[in-house]
Amino acid sequence: MKISDYLKKEFCIMDLKATTKEQAIREVANCLTVNGKIKDKEKFINDILERESLGSTGIGHKVAIPHSRTEVVNGFAISFGRSKEGIDFKALDGDKVNLIFLMGANPSELNLYLRLLAELSRLLMENSFRRELLSANTGEEVIDIIRKYEASGLVR
Amino acid sequence: MAKILNIAVSLSGSAASLITAKYAIYLSKQLNAKLYAIYVVDDRSLHELLKTRIFVEIEAVEYERDLKDQGVNALERIKKMAEMKKVECETLLLKGVVHEEVVSKTKEFSVDLLVIGELKEIVSRREIFYDEGERIFRESPCPVVVVKNPERVESLYKELEQ
Repeated sequence: MKISDYLKKEFCIMDLKATTKEQAIREVANCLTVNGKIKDKEKFINDILERESLGSTGIGHKVAIPHSRTEVVNGFAISFGRSKEGIDFKALDGDKVNLIFLMGANPSELNLYLRLLAELSRLLMENSFRRELLSANTGEEVIDIIRKYEASGLVR
Repeated sequence: MAKILNIAVSLSGSAASLITAKYAIYLSKQLNAKLYAIYVVDDRSLHELLKTRIFVEIEAVEYERDLKDQGVNALERIKKMAEMKKVECETLLLKGVVHEEVVSKTKEFSVDLLVIGELKEIVSRREIFYDEGERIFRESPCPVVVVKNPERVESLYKELEQ
């Protein structure tokens, strides 16, 4: 299974309203809860925030990957949010974050979770991938870009 | 006539790998072969996630422990299942790059037949080179059985006399 198998257009927010890290996490998590991937929204958000308290998942290059392994996720879930203004995630490079991929997985999906998280991190190391995500207009376009890079052999 | 004496099975700990385990036990019983059950804690992904700073140290340690626990459970389960079917089974819990460890043990134990779970759909040439299942399949020094049709496997396993 690949990232594009799990990310649906309903799980993509192209213009986040959030202005803070917590608001952004809540907003990006919300589309997953609305679509039934999460059994307990507040627990899920708290688990994500608890992980953030260990260290920011703002990994630089304007990207953050907040994540958690928690019982309240049905299988594996991923959503995407883009902020035009950028959000202070206390990222490693100090820059504001524009691209947020939020991931959650049930502990029973540990191997899949680690594999997809590693795969996403590899994709996001690619400058052109990030550039294309920043200029995508719709959720469908985001998914198409991911599919293209998954199939391209450009990364890794 | 050369006999199949040693069979190995590579397990991922997923629900699907239970079917792989059952077919490996079935083959071992039918061929009167010894079974080696292998689980590899994939620490490459963990290292990558640490390197890219998606994981913090404490998180990686916790995940590695959980992967190891998952492996221990998967191996204990297959050991019990094999015992019930009176199949000799040795379990191996390893850590490293999955395909390298599996291929290495296959050579070390002179495995005649390697059993693996169904391969995932390939969408790019890259996956042929980097997917662990594909690499085991391609780099194995012995013939490889790719388990399919779970219903059939369940039925064969049930019919095995204990």
